Amino acid sequence: MELEQLIDQTKQWISEQPVEQIYLAVAVLIITFIFFLVFSFLRTSKSNTIVLAGLSGSGKTVLFQQVRDGSSHQGTVTSMEPNDDTFVLHSDLSEEKKKKKPVPLHLIDVPGHPRLKPKLDDYLPQAAGLVFTVDAQDFLYNYQAAAEYLYDILTKAILVKKKIPVLILCNKTDKVTAHSKEFIKKQLEKEIDKLRASRNAISTADVTNEVVLGTPGTAFTFAQCQNKITMAEASGLTGNISQVEQFIKENVGR
Amino acid sequence: MLEQLLIFTRGGLVLWSSCRALGNALKGSPIDALIRSCLLEERSADSSFSHESYTLKWAFHNELGLVFVAVYQRILHLLYVDDLLSAVRREFSEIYDPKRINYDDFDEMFRQLQKEAEARAEEMKKLKQSGRAPPVQAKKGGAGQRTLTGVQGNGTKKGTGGAAKDDSDGDTGNGRLLSNGVDNGTKGTNKSRVASMGKENGAPDTGAFDVNKLKMRSKTGKKGDGEKKSAPTKGEPKKAVKKNRVWDDKPVEESKLDFTDEKGDERMERDVVVVRGESMMDKEEVISSESEGEDDNEVEGAKPGAKKKGWFSSMFKSIAGNSTLEKADLQPALKALKDRLMTKNVAEEIAEKLCESVATSLEGKKLGSFTRVSSTVQTAMEEALLRILTPKRSIDILRDVHAAKEQGRPYVVVFVGVNGVGKSTNLAKVAYWLLQHDVSVMLAACDTFRSGAVEQLRTHARRLQIPIFEKGYEKDPAIVAKEAIQEAARNKSDVVLVDTAGRMQDNEPLMRALSKLINLNNPDLVLFVGEALVGNDAVDQLSKFNQKLADLSTVATARLIDGILLTKFDTIDDKVGAALSMVYISGAPVMFVGCGQSYTDLKKLNVKSIVKTLLK
Repeated sequence: MELEQLIDQTKQWISEQPVEQIYLAVAVLIITFIFFLVFSFLRTSKSNTIVLAGLSGSGKTVLFQQVRDGSSHQGTVTSMEPNDDTFVLHSDLSEEKKKKKPVPLHLIDVPGHPRLKPKLDDYLPQAAGLVFTVDAQDFLYNYQAAAEYLYDILTKAILVKKKIPVLILCNKTDKVTAHSKEFIKKQLEKEIDKLRASRNAISTADVTNEVVLGTPGTAFTFAQCQNKITMAEASGLTGNISQVEQFIKENVGR
Repeated sequence: MLEQLLIFTRGGLVLWSSCRALGNALKGSPIDALIRSCLLEERSADSSFSHESYTLKWAFHNELGLVFVAVYQRILHLLYVDDLLSAVRREFSEIYDPKRINYDDFDEMFRQLQKEAEARAEEMKKLKQSGRAPPVQAKKGGAGQRTLTGVQGNGTKKGTGGAAKDDSDGDTGNGRLLSNGVDNGTKGTNKSRVASMGKENGAPDTGAFDVNKLKMRSKTGKKGDGEKKSAPTKGEPKKAVKKNRVWDDKPVEESKLDFTDEKGDERMERDVVVVRGESMMDKEEVISSESEGEDDNEVEGAKPGAKKKGWFSSMFKSIAGNSTLEKADLQPALKALKDRLMTKNVAEEIAEKLCESVATSLEGKKLGSFTRVSSTVQTAMEEALLRILTPKRSIDILRDVHAAKEQGRPYVVVFVGVNGVGKSTNLAKVAYWLLQHDVSVMLAACDTFRSGAVEQLRTHARRLQIPIFEKGYEKDPAIVAKEAIQEAARNKSDVVLVDTAGRMQDNEPLMRALSKLINLNNPDLVLFVGEALVGNDAVDQLSKFNQKLADLSTVATARLIDGILLTKFDTIDDKVGAALSMVYISGAPVMFVGCGQSYTDLKKLNVKSIVKTLLK
């Protein structure tokens, strides 16, 4: 009963107001609403997240520290949890002549231990770019595992849908026995080619989001993928990470 | 003496290390081994971890996400480590700041804490020592000196204070031999008690050590003598000819019954089957382990009572937020979770260990506002289960097959397991699956014991139209397997599937025969076939199998179980706990799941659905 009375009272009050004011109020509301929508759309397309992935021991956490602080401090151990931080690139901080405020970078370092692989799926949807680190020194010992991990990543539906660019980073190039990035690229392509043949034979009961990579029938090359895949070299310990930073700048805050 | 104390975040950044000058000069990177084989395997509730020549102890600070690890030589037996770890944790958490990376000022604090902890331990020792008369024996003292200098590289006479604690593991002898006249060193008052041999494997480089200790001790240590005993007994089976297996003390009948099929296969010899006493069908006792339904009713009664109290207080706390989780708060939620796991057929000790591990990782964490204790515990347990069940190495067999093919040799898979789990049936299923992927398969009938095993495989081979290598019954399975692999190499078969006889894990001669088969042929994959119906026995089966394979191996790196094949999955509705028990205890991933009795009933394990079913 009281509710009805309240409603009648508001109706009366509204009818007492001049009509133009009501129209104005409604218009303002609609305009603000549209503004919000536009803003949110614009914002989602500009993600500033970069995800670091790779096998255990390939140097992701060291790289994370380098990009963030500029030095690798006391070393690292096997990560048990992801490292997640938002900061301004260390090299950007030192450049004062930049007029534009540098965009803060959200960097996530996902552990490479096989048991923690599912964590990568939590962070991929928000990624603007993926850096896949490969140990260039011990490459021949674990290139099969690296190729398998890379294959798993490249066939994730979300990566293909959003066309997230991937940088394959050959880390530890300061060591004498490190392989060149061309060699690593060829080996990875060969392994992924073999994986394509054997992987598509999994029982369909468990196929979650598999996508056929490249063009079937021809040998696989990274150029066949829909998202952009580039190779680069770096050395986490000595701080030679210019190519990584370039990749980051290209893909963050476009 | 402590080798190193390391403080690092859960994300892998090292914050502080006690021996910075040498960098990470520890042999074999024990910290990485700790993380990989212990903390990530949900064994963080264990008291310590040994790796090569080091022992590691750790402590967590769950709120800040820090891990404190202390490393020391395995042969030492430092008592003050736990004390030191908790003191360090307390002090460090006060100066910790997420933004800060340099903690050099902690050195001073650490040295102080270390001195205090050592002093406290020394005091406790003195108290105990004064409590009993130290027995002095000159001969033992001499030997004690020898072992001491052998142990300590730097030769400083460390104070022993060897007050033999009343250990039950045979350490009393040691304590006595070390305590007497050896003067306490002024610095480093650690006692260098020889570590209990009963607990850990004697390191090979302390061979002289073992002999001395064995002479002194009144009671023999478990492992030290065990190793010596197994060496002479190993020679025996080689000499003895394989006898008929007699399950009971029944006389063996002499009449031979031969039911083998003559026509069709000219390669097959005339198989002669000897009847081993009466048929055992009447005598068989089927012991099905029951872990489900045990104490279910009492648990149900107790649960609502505890639940009500827990719910009220947890609601209150959750609204207030900002309460730190204590062990007492976690107990009711963990107990409920443990019971739930056990009703899903998870082995009891596995459920217990898992709950303790989750408790260690949650203690000291701050509850977020509006979250209850039970939901936090549930999320933590779900993550832990997901972690355990995710395989830590690739389970892509086809890839390995192709890799072996390129190397020009056949890929050998050996199926092992206890009696009646479904080895032969699932072997045929795996063969069928491989055939569908254009891989040429060959079967090897190394079950030369069970009546009809060879015929069974022959039938499968005929139906699948693949070659089978058999030598009939009463032959040595290891030799049969070896010849099968050679034949496969000649035929250019890609895969050889070796069927073995079922055997109980306690049966020593059979386990030895299995170990011989594996050592002789060095297969690419040792697949343990276990049925999903098994309950607590899964733990025993797998651990004993692994242990026997490790003990009886002739090479340095023993071949252990590489994968698990879970069978009879269609017979359990949602009591899927056996998968968890097996994976936890062995660390091997589940490669296949058999879910029916026809050729097509083979699938892969879906980790997420299992976790969901376990926690429903």
